[in-house]
Amino acid sequence: MMNFLAAHAPGPTHWLFLTTILFSIGLCGLLTRRNAVGILMAVELMLNSAAMNFVVFNRFCVPAGVDGQVMAIFVIAVAAAEVVVGMAIFVAIFRYCSTIDVSKMNLMKK
Amino acid sequence: MLMMPEIIVILTAFGVLVLDLFLTERSRWILAPLALIGLAGAFAALYMTPLHEQMLGGRFVMDPVAWWFKVVFLLSGAITILISMDLLNGKTGVRIRGIGFRGEYFTVLLFTITGMMYLISARDLITLYVSLELATIPLFVLTAWRRDDARSGEAGLKYVILGALASAFILYGMGLIYGLTGSLNLDTIGHALTPGRNAVFWLAIAALFAGVGFKLTIVPFHLWAADVYQGAPTPVTAYLSVASKGAGLAFMFQIFFRMLGPWIPDGALLIALFAASTMTLGNTVAIVQHNIKRFMAFSAISQAGYFLMGFLGPSSAGVPAMLFYMLVYVVSNMGVFTAIVWFANETGREQIEDYRGLCRTNPLMALAMMVALFSLAGIPPLSGFVGKFFLFSIASQAGFHWLVAVAAVNSTISLYYYLRVVRQMYIEPGGEDARALPVSRKLALTQAVLLLGVVFLGLVPGIYESIHADTASWLAALIR
Repeated sequence: MMNFLAAHAPGPTHWLFLTTILFSIGLCGLLTRRNAVGILMAVELMLNSAAMNFVVFNRFCVPAGVDGQVMAIFVIAVAAAEVVVGMAIFVAIFRYCSTIDVSKMNLMKK
Repeated sequence: MLMMPEIIVILTAFGVLVLDLFLTERSRWILAPLALIGLAGAFAALYMTPLHEQMLGGRFVMDPVAWWFKVVFLLSGAITILISMDLLNGKTGVRIRGIGFRGEYFTVLLFTITGMMYLISARDLITLYVSLELATIPLFVLTAWRRDDARSGEAGLKYVILGALASAFILYGMGLIYGLTGSLNLDTIGHALTPGRNAVFWLAIAALFAGVGFKLTIVPFHLWAADVYQGAPTPVTAYLSVASKGAGLAFMFQIFFRMLGPWIPDGALLIALFAASTMTLGNTVAIVQHNIKRFMAFSAISQAGYFLMGFLGPSSAGVPAMLFYMLVYVVSNMGVFTAIVWFANETGREQIEDYRGLCRTNPLMALAMMVALFSLAGIPPLSGFVGKFFLFSIASQAGFHWLVAVAAVNSTISLYYYLRVVRQMYIEPGGEDARALPVSRKLALTQAVLLLGVVFLGLVPGIYESIHADTASWLAALIR
């Protein structure tokens, strides 16, 4: 079993396929979701796929350094900050609109 | 100490936040002057900072271009604080609810200034990305600042979602660049990167350009600007229109000149097309706007098109022209926004039609707004003309004569719609009960200083010459 797994270890191409698919799923979710929280989750997916890119490239292109992994940690921290601000704004909107459906956000469309 | 200006701004931010806890509501007015003193201290430190030095192993570099960008950021931050004061202290003609929390407001504002200052000094992708987010995330908060105004919240929501999308694209592009070169250092990347027939390279550049185009409101990526500018509190709109654009330009400098330096001429046609479409769309859509903040949003989009022309020049000849126009743009746009903030404070209105008859009730404010608008349009003696002249000459030196023609036609169109505001102020009769609106001393002083800047930045030749002399040596280091 272990031999089989070791013989079929995913290479960089597989990992890059994974990150690209994750990024596309995120973009697709962002374009189709109507709930603002769902959109934020989709954006998270995109940010995480980009962070994963750094780790993958670090592992396969420059295995001696840790630059890419450090970058991934920073990305996680920054993405958390982004989500906190986003959720705070959604809560504030929910207070007076009672909805966070983005298709109803058209006050300024004149 | 090379990082002193940034450290002073951060310490001021925390100082304001902590002091806010110990003050009573009546004495909180002191926070704004404190924040201003902090910015002045940072400027003094910046003035004494040695150029051409680096720290943290070359990750933080001080050079003339960074120096001038930091001047722009500090200046626009200081003006924003000055024009926010009346609104935040509640000294307005009409009662504007839901704004306040002065300590937090100035803290968040100072954080974005710090982020922008780090952005232009950063020399590796980690610092670049983190400082970009430090400059952007507080802007989402500021946009949604008015808690009981649904439009402000809506603007914040649109900005936070699209801003996160843009940063995801930037990050994805950075990841691919890292994969191509195996380095996070911008200069190493610049040496290692070669386009060739490499699809990944072009994908990375496209993702980066989409992200930075969002910040600079370049045309296919500009859609957020109108709603966000209209919904945000007016001083924040002013800050967004100059400082956020400055940060976008700084980020573009980092990408284009640091990473892609020798390859810019290959993409010049693409840049020229983006510039032409940005200025044309911004100018034509601005004609039909009725809300003055939305109108200024489209005006700002068209100005971004003029900025892009500076990237066309041979190697990086456009750098001094772009920096000079940024300075001019800050002064002119802030001049217009000071009048808009004042008018919104006193009447609570922001339609262009509401400005009718302003020259009879408040002649000086109307004159100041007119001069600033003319500078944005590029009327000869004013600084806007001089700035545009340098940018146009860069494009024409690069052989893009058709772009110069497009830009000249666009300037004429922009004159038409800026004159719409002037017509309301000077030709249309005011209402029966029109009375002079009070102008606070702070706003009058700010407007007077900005007006002097609008007139004299272009007339005094020393300013452009010193920018040129400073940044001309910057070019040599980049060309290989």
